[in-house]
Amino acid sequence: MDFTHLFVELVLMPLIAFLVGLVMVLMLRKVRAKIERRIGPPLLQPLYDIVKLYSKKTQVSHGPMHEIAMMVALGGVIAMEVFLPVPGLNGLAEKGDLIVLIYLMMIPSLGLALGVGACANPNGSIGISRALTAMVAYDIPLMIVVAGVALFHGTTSLPEIIAAQQAGGMSTWGIVQTPVLALGGLIAAYAMLGKEPFEIYVAPAEIATGPMVEMSGKFMGTLFVMQCFQLYAVGVLYTTLFLGGGEYWISFLPKIFAVVFIPLAMTNVFPRYKTEDVLKWMWKWAGGFALAGLALVVMK
Amino acid sequence: MSTDPNQAVACRTVDAEERSLLGRVLDRIADHCRARSLFVLHYCTGCGAIELPPTMTSRFDLERVGMQPMVTPRQADILLITGYLSVKTLKRVVMTYEQMQGPKYVIGLGSCTINGGMYWNSYATIKLLDRYIPVDNYIAGCMPRPEAIQQVFLDLMGRIDRGEAQAWKDYYRRYDWYLGQQQQLFGTNWQAPTDVVGEAIRYRLVGEQTLGSHTAHLERYAPYYDQLGIIRPEPARMKARPQLEVVSR
Repeated sequence: MDFTHLFVELVLMPLIAFLVGLVMVLMLRKVRAKIERRIGPPLLQPLYDIVKLYSKKTQVSHGPMHEIAMMVALGGVIAMEVFLPVPGLNGLAEKGDLIVLIYLMMIPSLGLALGVGACANPNGSIGISRALTAMVAYDIPLMIVVAGVALFHGTTSLPEIIAAQQAGGMSTWGIVQTPVLALGGLIAAYAMLGKEPFEIYVAPAEIATGPMVEMSGKFMGTLFVMQCFQLYAVGVLYTTLFLGGGEYWISFLPKIFAVVFIPLAMTNVFPRYKTEDVLKWMWKWAGGFALAGLALVVMK
Repeated sequence: MSTDPNQAVACRTVDAEERSLLGRVLDRIADHCRARSLFVLHYCTGCGAIELPPTMTSRFDLERVGMQPMVTPRQADILLITGYLSVKTLKRVVMTYEQMQGPKYVIGLGSCTINGGMYWNSYATIKLLDRYIPVDNYIAGCMPRPEAIQQVFLDLMGRIDRGEAQAWKDYYRRYDWYLGQQQQLFGTNWQAPTDVVGEAIRYRLVGEQTLGSHTAHLERYAPYYDQLGIIRPEPARMKARPQLEVVSR
């Protein structure tokens, strides 16, 4: 692969991720509106929000660390996108593997923790400590699921996992071959989205949106952009591991939207767990399914 | 065309507010987006909060026009003040308002924000909100119905779209006057955590009335206004009792 080709892919992949992510944010709000029997926001609403936040005329910054950390967090999610293979674009997926991807997925939370620490707002500190707790809650099941998938396919390379799943049509998909692992993975993916009942670190009525409490204008805009990337990343990761990735965009996009839609359709009827309950619930059920799936893979 | 050489085109002084063509196009796009994405912070210590759930939820659904509630002043665009404000809550409103990031808009809901309403005779409430912070729109009524609230939101959206809702700049340009009104109620030791004068200098919004006799009282907290930063209160001076001036109502 020559340099120009790689460069084009590195630009295209985050761009596509952002555009698809915008549509996912719209879907998130539309689904909530429909469940509440409302009409919901207009089509360009996610874009209006981001442009509005970036065009605020005054801006409060809480020191250099606040600004650098936001860039670290945004850089983390953008770096994540180029390791996720999508139809026709492999980016750096052949050079890095699942392990690199899992490391990169922690960067946004850690970056946010640095930035929120600089804000010195107690709500923010509580929020970010809860966010890191939630990360511990869903990362352990996720790591077990990823280990199971890697053991099953005998490789940690995402393009090879996709190729193995696409070899025999739908019957070789991960969700058919390793259904218990897929269930554990779906619960972990749900928690990664940070929606109710796992919404412990946002909790608007309790800690005033936690990490976002001091974010104004462009910082908030960066968080909105990050949300687009994260929704897309969760959808693509799950599709890659269990739904056979994608040969063509026409078959790939419905899969990633379906993965994000399942949690969004459920989330609106739930209240919020307590922090320790999220930890217990995730380790018990998501962790339980993941361990059972791993055991089935090993015994096979 | 004028024959006076001082009025000739080449000699005209360029207005500081004037924007290039590209700047005007970008402003237009930004205003368009601002009007369609308004985050509302409710300040509902008075009455009237009960009119807002139907406005926001499935009966009237304000998200159709891009409005949604936000929980902190940093993220919000609109400060919606419902009902009366006592002198004590006004302090919190001013602090909240100063923490919001411009462009920001204030809507006073109900008669109490306009003329004191049924609390006209009360010694503890304020009569007119826009003496203390600039208000974009008022909604008269006791209480206004959700339809009236929606109508005002649509009116405000139209004005933002046309670039007319600039009341937030007035707070910087006439800060001395607003601070004077606040000091009448709170005493001359009153100071909010936000350095409004510093922000006015930073964002080039200093007007003729930004500094004056009232902001001079703040200088003991921030001796050098040309150096930006947070106003740091000095503990020894904070202990002095505020000298409340008698206000004629």
